[in-house]
Amino acid sequence: MTIVSAMKAARSPRIKSSPLLRVLPALLLVALALIGPWIAPHAVDEPVAVPFAGPGGEARLGGDQLGRDVLSRLLAGGRELVLSALLIAVVVTALAAVLGVIGALRPLVGRIVERVADVLILLPAVLGIMLVSLSWPGGGRLAIIVAATALGLPYAVRLAAGAAAPVAASGYVEAAAAGGERLWVLVVREVLPNMRATLLALFGLRFVEAVYVVATAGFLQVGPQPPAADWALMIRENSSGLLLNPWAVVAPSLAVGLLALCVNLAASALAPQTGRKAVTVL
Amino acid sequence: MAGPLTDQITPPAGPLRTLAGDRPVVRVLIRAGLVLVKRTVLLAVLLALVFTGVELLPGDAAHATSERGETAVDLAQRRHTLGLDRPVLERFWDWMSGLPTGDLGTSAHGESVTDLVSTAFPNTLVLGATALLLTAVLSIALGCWAALRPGGRLDQAVTGTSTAVFAIPEFVVAVGLVLVFSLWTGWLPAVTLADADGTPSSWTMLVLPTLALTVPQAGWNTRIVRAALDDEARAPHVETAVLDGVPPLRVLTHHVLPGALPTIATGLATSSGILLGGAVVVETIFNYPGIGAVLSSAVADRDTPVIAGVTALAGAVISCVLLLADLVRDVVTGGRR
Repeated sequence: MTIVSAMKAARSPRIKSSPLLRVLPALLLVALALIGPWIAPHAVDEPVAVPFAGPGGEARLGGDQLGRDVLSRLLAGGRELVLSALLIAVVVTALAAVLGVIGALRPLVGRIVERVADVLILLPAVLGIMLVSLSWPGGGRLAIIVAATALGLPYAVRLAAGAAAPVAASGYVEAAAAGGERLWVLVVREVLPNMRATLLALFGLRFVEAVYVVATAGFLQVGPQPPAADWALMIRENSSGLLLNPWAVVAPSLAVGLLALCVNLAASALAPQTGRKAVTVL
Repeated sequence: MAGPLTDQITPPAGPLRTLAGDRPVVRVLIRAGLVLVKRTVLLAVLLALVFTGVELLPGDAAHATSERGETAVDLAQRRHTLGLDRPVLERFWDWMSGLPTGDLGTSAHGESVTDLVSTAFPNTLVLGATALLLTAVLSIALGCWAALRPGGRLDQAVTGTSTAVFAIPEFVVAVGLVLVFSLWTGWLPAVTLADADGTPSSWTMLVLPTLALTVPQAGWNTRIVRAALDDEARAPHVETAVLDGVPPLRVLTHHVLPGALPTIATGLATSSGILLGGAVVVETIFNYPGIGAVLSSAVADRDTPVIAGVTALAGAVISCVLLLADLVRDVVTGGRR
C-alpha cells in the first residue's frame, strides 16, 4: 500500500506533455468500461458457441469455458471493477484528507495513525483481503471495498498529514487557532483548500492502488462470484482453455493491464511537480 | 536481501563515533536491540488483531468443516474437541505461548499447522526471496544507469518503462509471460510439477513465477532508486566531488549511492509484503506448491489457526526485512534521524 508514497517520490520530472493528454486515455477507458454493458452484443450468461470456440461467426473474440461470448463479457466485465476502484479512491482520499489534517493539527491523532500504519505494513494486502472476505461471507464486492479502504487508509493519511503539516504550521492557521476557531473550521476552511494539488494526486494514486486490489481480489475469487462477468475472474476461469481460445484470457488481461497503465499515467500527470521528498514509510 | 545492500555501505565513521562514545559497535548493537524489540511488539499486536478479528466472525471452523446431516450435538461435540468453546483470550494465549517453540497450533481438521505449512512456506519463501533479490539487483542497476545520464534517451526509456509496468497486477504479467515463453516459444514450463518431497521438480519452473513477481516490483523500485539518487545528487558533498573532477561513476558509487541507500532499502523492504501477497496469486496460476493453496483451503474452512499461522510467518518475514532496512539506515546515518 505504500506504493503511493513511493510513487509520489519517484515521479519523473522530465515528461513534459500536457496533463490533459496523459489523463485522456484513462478517461476514455473508464468511460468505455462504464457504458460497456449497454453496447455488449450478447447476454453475458448465455452460450452462443461451443466452449472455448475460436473467434468467428457470432462471437468476435470466441467463446469462454461455457461458450459464452467473450466480447460481450469483456464489455460488461469492467464496470464494477472501475466503480469499486473509484469508490475506494474517493472514500480513502476524503477520509485521509480529514484525518491527515487533524493529525497535523493534533499530534496525538498523528501518532496513532503512525502506529496503525506500522502494524498494517506487516500484513500483506492479499492476506488482509482474505481475512475480511472470510469474516463477511456474503459481503462480495462490498467486503472488498471495505477491506481495501481499511488497508489503504493509514498510508494515505500519512501522506496527507505530511502535506498538511507545513500548512498547519503557517501563520494564518495558527492565528485562526489562537482566535479560538473550532477544529472542523480549521480543517475544512483553513487547511484543506490549500492541499488541492496533493489531494488530487492522492486520489489518482489511490485509484491505481484500488484497481490493483480489486482486480487481485477478483482473481482470487473472494469478491465477485463465478456467473458474474468480471475481467479478473474471466482470466482465472478461462486459463485452462488458453490453448483453445487464447482471446478468452488475453482480452481481459489486456483490459486490466491497460486500465492499470492508463490510470497510472493519469495519476502521475496529476501529481504536483514540487515536493519530491523520498519515501515516507516508517 | 542484506547482501547487495549492506556490502555497498561505507559507514561514516565520524558522526557514529561521536554519538557512540568510544565504542561504535556497542552503540549499534544497542540500537539494533531497540529496533528488534519495537518490531517484535508490532508483530505481536498484528497477531492479536488477526486472531481476535477472525474469532469475531459469524461462522467458525466446526461449522465450516461440518458434513451434511450432522446434528447440533455433533457440532457442539466437535467444537469442544477443537477447543472452540473456550474463551478467545485463553486460546489466544495458548497460541501465542506456543509460537516461540515453533508450535503454530492445530488446524480445524486436527493437523498440526506447523506440519501443514512446513513444506509450502519454504517454497513460497524461495519464490519471494528470489524475486526480491532480482528486484534489488535490477532496480539498483537500472536506476544507477539512468542516473548517470539524467534526461537522456536511456533515462527516459527506463523511467517510462518502470512507470508503465508497476501498476499492472502480477497475474496479468503472468498471463503475458505464459503466452510468450510457454505457448509461443515453448522455452519454459507453464505449470509447476512437484516432486515427492513437495518442492518444484525443476528450477525452470521457478523462472516464470519469479519474473511475474519481479516485473511490477522492479518497476516500482527503479523509480524509488532513481528519485533517491536524484535527491542525494543535490547534496553539497556530491557537488564538491564533481567540482574536484572525480569521475561520474565514482561519484555515483562513492558519494551518491551510500546516502541514497536508506531510502532504497526501505523501498525494497516494503516490497517484501507485496511480493509475499503477490506470490499467493502467482502460485495459483502456475500451480506452484506454496502457501497459496494452503491459504485458500484454510479460508474456505474458516481455519483460524492456519490463517493466523500463515499471517504470523509472513509478518515475521516482513519484520526481518524491515529490520534490515532499519539497520541499513542506522549504519548509514550513524544513528542521526
